[in-house]
Amino acid sequence: MTPTVSASGLCLRYGGTRALDDVSLRLTQGVTGLLGPNGAGKTTLLRVLATAVPADQGAFTVLGQDPGTARGRQEVRRRLGYLPQTPGFHPDFTAFEFVDYVAILKELTDRGARHREVRRVLDEVDLSDVRGKRIKKLSGGMRQRVALAAALVGDPGFLVLDEPTVGLDPEQRMRFRELIARAGEGRTVLLSTHQTEDVAMLCHRVVVMAAGAVRFDGTPAELTARAAGRVWSSTERDPGAKAGWRTGLGAFRNVGDPPPGADLLEPTLEDGYLLTLDGAGTEVAV
Amino acid sequence: MTAIMEAAPPVTSAQPRQSWAAVVALAGFEGRRLLLRVPVLLALAVYAFWIVWHTRDSFDGFPALQDADRSTQGAPLLVALAVMVCVNQSVLRSRRRDTERHFAVLVLQPGRRTAAHVLSVLPATAVVAACVAVQFTWEALKPGAIGTGSPGELLVGPLSVLLFGAIGVLVARLAPSAVAVPLMVVFFLFLFVFGASPALSDDWTRWLYPVVGESSANILPSDLLGRPAAWHALYLAGLALSVALLAVLIGGARKGVAGTALAGALALTVVGGVGQAAGLSDETAAARVRASVTPEKEQTCVERGRSTYCAFPEWTPRVATWAGVVDHVQSLSGGTAKGQQLLVRQRIEARYGLDSDAAVFPLSTPHQVTVGTAWGGNRVPEFSVGVASVLIAGNEKAVGEMCDGRMVTVMWTALAWESDPVAALRRVRLDDSVTGSATVLAPTESLSMTAGQTEVVRQLLEQPRDAVAAKVKARWAELTDPKVTTGRAAQLLGVAVPKGADKCDG
Amino acid sequence: MRRLSGVPAVWRALTPPVCRTVPWRALAAGGALGLLLAGMPRMVDGLNDDFYALNLLRAAALAFALSLAFLLDDPARHTTAAVPTPRPARQALRVALVAPVAALWWTAALLLVPAEVRPPTGDITLEAAATLVLTLAASATALRFAQEAEPGTAVAAGLLLTAALTMVLVPDRWAMFVYMKDEGWAASHDRWAMVLAMAVLVWGVCGPEPLRRRVRPVPSGA
Repeated sequence: MTPTVSASGLCLRYGGTRALDDVSLRLTQGVTGLLGPNGAGKTTLLRVLATAVPADQGAFTVLGQDPGTARGRQEVRRRLGYLPQTPGFHPDFTAFEFVDYVAILKELTDRGARHREVRRVLDEVDLSDVRGKRIKKLSGGMRQRVALAAALVGDPGFLVLDEPTVGLDPEQRMRFRELIARAGEGRTVLLSTHQTEDVAMLCHRVVVMAAGAVRFDGTPAELTARAAGRVWSSTERDPGAKAGWRTGLGAFRNVGDPPPGADLLEPTLEDGYLLTLDGAGTEVAV
Repeated sequence: MTAIMEAAPPVTSAQPRQSWAAVVALAGFEGRRLLLRVPVLLALAVYAFWIVWHTRDSFDGFPALQDADRSTQGAPLLVALAVMVCVNQSVLRSRRRDTERHFAVLVLQPGRRTAAHVLSVLPATAVVAACVAVQFTWEALKPGAIGTGSPGELLVGPLSVLLFGAIGVLVARLAPSAVAVPLMVVFFLFLFVFGASPALSDDWTRWLYPVVGESSANILPSDLLGRPAAWHALYLAGLALSVALLAVLIGGARKGVAGTALAGALALTVVGGVGQAAGLSDETAAARVRASVTPEKEQTCVERGRSTYCAFPEWTPRVATWAGVVDHVQSLSGGTAKGQQLLVRQRIEARYGLDSDAAVFPLSTPHQVTVGTAWGGNRVPEFSVGVASVLIAGNEKAVGEMCDGRMVTVMWTALAWESDPVAALRRVRLDDSVTGSATVLAPTESLSMTAGQTEVVRQLLEQPRDAVAAKVKARWAELTDPKVTTGRAAQLLGVAVPKGADKCDG
Repeated sequence: MRRLSGVPAVWRALTPPVCRTVPWRALAAGGALGLLLAGMPRMVDGLNDDFYALNLLRAAALAFALSLAFLLDDPARHTTAAVPTPRPARQALRVALVAPVAALWWTAALLLVPAEVRPPTGDITLEAAATLVLTLAASATALRFAQEAEPGTAVAAGLLLTAALTMVLVPDRWAMFVYMKDEGWAASHDRWAMVLAMAVLVWGVCGPEPLRRRVRPVPSGA
């Protein structure tokens, strides 16, 4: 499959900090998860790929266009949906008006078609009932969904979502997963998150970042496999474990290098993630 | 913002006393932030720079402290406006950053948070108060300082900062829009620059402004100023308190306590306002008349050398400097003038207060010289001219009619003792020239010099002093004869005779 | 999804919502205060001379400029960071919507000042234009270099500070606020013209979104 996004050697510095350190990446259709601790450079990478900030070095193409040129960036943006980490709104607009406004900015100029499209995405994020309500009257979760609708409007081929499930209750998160999974059908979605379950359930690929660099790039199964044979159960906290905690059942679940004859457990994606980060966990402020 | 939330935890037990402790903690936190905001820092830097630049040579080194206190009032307004803008933004911050919803559940209720914002102005006020103290102390420590300052006048600077800070909080609670206060600043800037001028206000309304300037440079004894400084400070304090309490009340404080306090503050404002509007008391008016018409009854006299010096009590420390000038002039004079006993009397025109710069009329009493209340700078050669002219013409009244060669001797004896006599000549002349005809300033009536006299005097001042002094003393009788012409005086003193001398204007 | 290309269509569709995002209330407040200040010479006898009229007009321009500092504030900045309609186009639309209002307002302010005390119209208009454009340039610069979505408050505070410090600190040789009967009037207006030119230049440079940062990533095709 031809990659939707292909980036090579992306570097970006803020002052003396390397927010992106030689990041190369190829994204194909489907949902790709981006995991990493706070300050790993996830948001910066997303902003660069969404053409919101230019990189210092490196090049990338989105849907065959080069965003390093004015014309190329314009073309990329015509086919891009972007949900920023902290979306802002015109609080006096209704949900419908706001998404409609973004749709116009995305050059959907035919009024009738645009309104149909806006209604469609509001339906998709389950906001049809409150589309006439002013945004300042909406709850945090609803606002998050308005922002997602704004990202989805215009049927973009490449969707960049920066922690879309933050602040949502479990039910809302479930609905979001559904939505994102649907969006990933026929599109390329790059999803940054702290929720390893989101990645495990949604993504066909996962990228782990730390300190501005890519630490892992593969399938969720491959990431999980990294922890194979490295998760075990014990009655006491094992001092040799990288991490260990008492589970609800009373036994300790340890991650790390097990002692001989340990009672091995089935690893999860999170175990693989933790072990990938181990030793690469230097924090980078973004 | 997280830090604000961190500042709040002491209130968790929700006892009233601890909650006020939280208000104080929050006020301290906000006060520190306020002091470190760029506009406030810049305004403070400019203010400090101004104090140093201004006070280095203000009042020519001879400040009357009853004026020096007033000169501390204007500059703090810059800080006050910066504080108003920044404190307003601090109050609006939680709304702008959408943290109002987080704060809404805090134990520290909006009324108390408003109170904390009002209190956060206090550190900036304290800094300004310290600056005012430094500026005034600096003036008071100058060797030439006389008189007494008024605490009421000194309080105006810090109280303005407090008032405008409170206005900033109030506006944030009334109109939660970021544009409101900057717009008010434009309005206030205009009021401050032009508002307190007589064009906009008459006698009592101008006292409603925080800083009330005076249009006159007249220096009066402190008990004759007639400025209701204490009342004005009370008015400002009451006003600041009222605005602050109103903000707290609107911010959501309990009506009872804040309402009562507000009523008290308003009463204070009204008392101050009425007190300052009362106008000049009869006693002060009578004292002003006495000081203007019969100063001899108010003054203390001191003998120094041959002469007597009478001054208002606050000015007696200046007698030595005056005596120095008289001695210099007499040491350059000849004949009877050299040993002449003079009465140097300080005279003022206080009847119009600080509204106008009224001139003091010349005296016809023989050998009496007038000295003003200002000193230093140009006032020194001017007094010197006054002394020399009385020594030569006999009295001040006669000096104004003088239009002959004696002018040469008057000017030379008045100025030759200065370290740079030609510069002194330039300074006593109204148009700062050293050629052509000009008016010469003296403590009472001004003198006029013709172009010829100017040329002769300048030539003499450029020659070595002792050589000229010998000639002046030798020819004293002839040089001070009313019939002497400028040409003749030039001849006697051995300098080039100018063409067409002695044509006084008018 | 069918897209009608062509800039005019986007602009036509964009005008109503952008019109709603213009901070009309702030502009109304600034404009009203400006007109009040400009009307003072007519209302207050003592202010009816050319010196007060000149400075009142300056204060009026400053008041309007302060409200203009909020014009480019865009709370939805991050949500709309990656749309094909470029930021300068959106900003230009806002300015275009406000420009006729500003022109009308300034004309009204000038007319409020009695003709006999009115300062030279061209020169004072140059001062006002320079102040307003400088404000917009400062906003554009703030948006270009900071991630802040609503820099208006900071720009307004900066503008006030600049005005106050220009009055207090700038030496006579470079004075900007000159009385029209002083000899420095013409020279000060050369400086005002320079400020205007610089502001336009800065705005022009800082308006567009950057395609690259310090280092050129790929050969330019634009």
